[in-house]
Amino acid sequence: MLTTLMTLTSGSARVAGVEVTKDPDAARNKIGVALQEAGLDPRQTGRELVILQGRLFGMPQEEAAARAIELLELVDLVDDADRRIKGYSGGMRRRLDLASALVHEPEVLFLDEPTTGLDPASRLTVWDELRRINERGTTIFLTTQYLEEADQLCDRIAIIDGGLIVAEGTPSELKADLRQRRGLTREPTLDEVFLEATGRTRERVAGEVQEVQA
Amino acid sequence: MSKVLPLIQRSIREALRTPEALLPTLFIPLFFLVVNVGQAARIFPSNSTPFLAGQSYAAFQLPSSLLLAASFGTAALYLVEDIEGGYFDKLRAAPVPRTAIIFGRLAAEALKSAAIAVAMLLIAALPFGISIASGPLGFVLLILLTASWAVVFSGFMQLIALKTRSAAATNSAGLIFFPLLFLTPSFVPRPLLTRPMEIAATFNPVTYIMEALRSLVLHDLDWAAIGRGFAVVAAAGAVMVLLSVRSIRRYD
Repeated sequence: MLTTLMTLTSGSARVAGVEVTKDPDAARNKIGVALQEAGLDPRQTGRELVILQGRLFGMPQEEAAARAIELLELVDLVDDADRRIKGYSGGMRRRLDLASALVHEPEVLFLDEPTTGLDPASRLTVWDELRRINERGTTIFLTTQYLEEADQLCDRIAIIDGGLIVAEGTPSELKADLRQRRGLTREPTLDEVFLEATGRTRERVAGEVQEVQA
Repeated sequence: MSKVLPLIQRSIREALRTPEALLPTLFIPLFFLVVNVGQAARIFPSNSTPFLAGQSYAAFQLPSSLLLAASFGTAALYLVEDIEGGYFDKLRAAPVPRTAIIFGRLAAEALKSAAIAVAMLLIAALPFGISIASGPLGFVLLILLTASWAVVFSGFMQLIALKTRSAAATNSAGLIFFPLLFLTPSFVPRPLLTRPMEIAATFNPVTYIMEALRSLVLHDLDWAAIGRGFAVVAAAGAVMVLLSVRSIRRYD
């Protein structure tokens, strides 16, 4: 809903100070979106895709081309910039998706499970990219099932269960809170924080049969 | 317009990079032209068939093949690929007017269809000796009307793609063109059809596009017939674009 891709059924939503239903284009200008499935066009080259994205955000051709070079350097894809995307590996696609989401220097970058399906080396590369992007001043709104990833990358975490936020805070706050309440002698992991916050146990989760709908 | 242009360029690049999708669009309608002429040309000799206006039966059949080629657009299938691959969401998350997303592909489809129509006319004109009786202006109008029909039919297919998000359903919806094509005076003029067929053809909008194209091939500029053809594509095009834009705005 915050990315303007879904209609709000009730209430309101603001992103970077903009009411998304009232002025979706203003919200779109302030956000970048990289979804779970890297949304790329396999018939274009990496360079063409980033340039097109720039032009869709209102840049003239020359400016979009210059920005594409900058971003392709950032995600280390310069050497493959003129290859068709269909030949890219999963990690390259993910990095290109990130580059295209950053073309207009968004204030907020939404990332939906950015490392799902990546090998460990590609995952670490994406983590490095995200740290660099964040250091440059972009707020990253990361959705992930890998709590180790959240622990490594996030300043603040919200655990959502059944559509509701059931725990919120910095990783160390969440862990310290659980340690104190349970009287643990060691620091708990975020996985344990998650299980406690959602009222689940590993046994229950392992035994659950869930229907997943797209 | 500044945001439609890059989307048009992208769609054209897409078409040029998949020639395997373009070639059947050119050769299957030519195949039908050859087969239809081969089956019926001796029944309708040019020197004793008034409705041929002195040309061969191929000239009479040519509009059917042009319309068939214009109905083989791939825009909707590429749209389904965009939807399935997630790129469509990327476009929707950009500050692009929803109309630009629709028009980007449709404009590219019009250009592609115009190029295919020119190629078909050149390829068909040589062996069959077809000439465009309405002259250079008629030739331009012929291409324009064919390309406009491509926009209408692609708009319809895009609508199905947006509603179903399924390549199979979109592909199947394209088959609707065959009844539309055959419920027209495709083999003989309307007055020579049986009464039920004549009634069906009269209610079929494709009939008027075909008659306009045929008038451009066989006769001097007949503005009444040409006007009816363009009016039909304008009305159908407006409905398709309106429905497509509404559908993309409500897309979740």
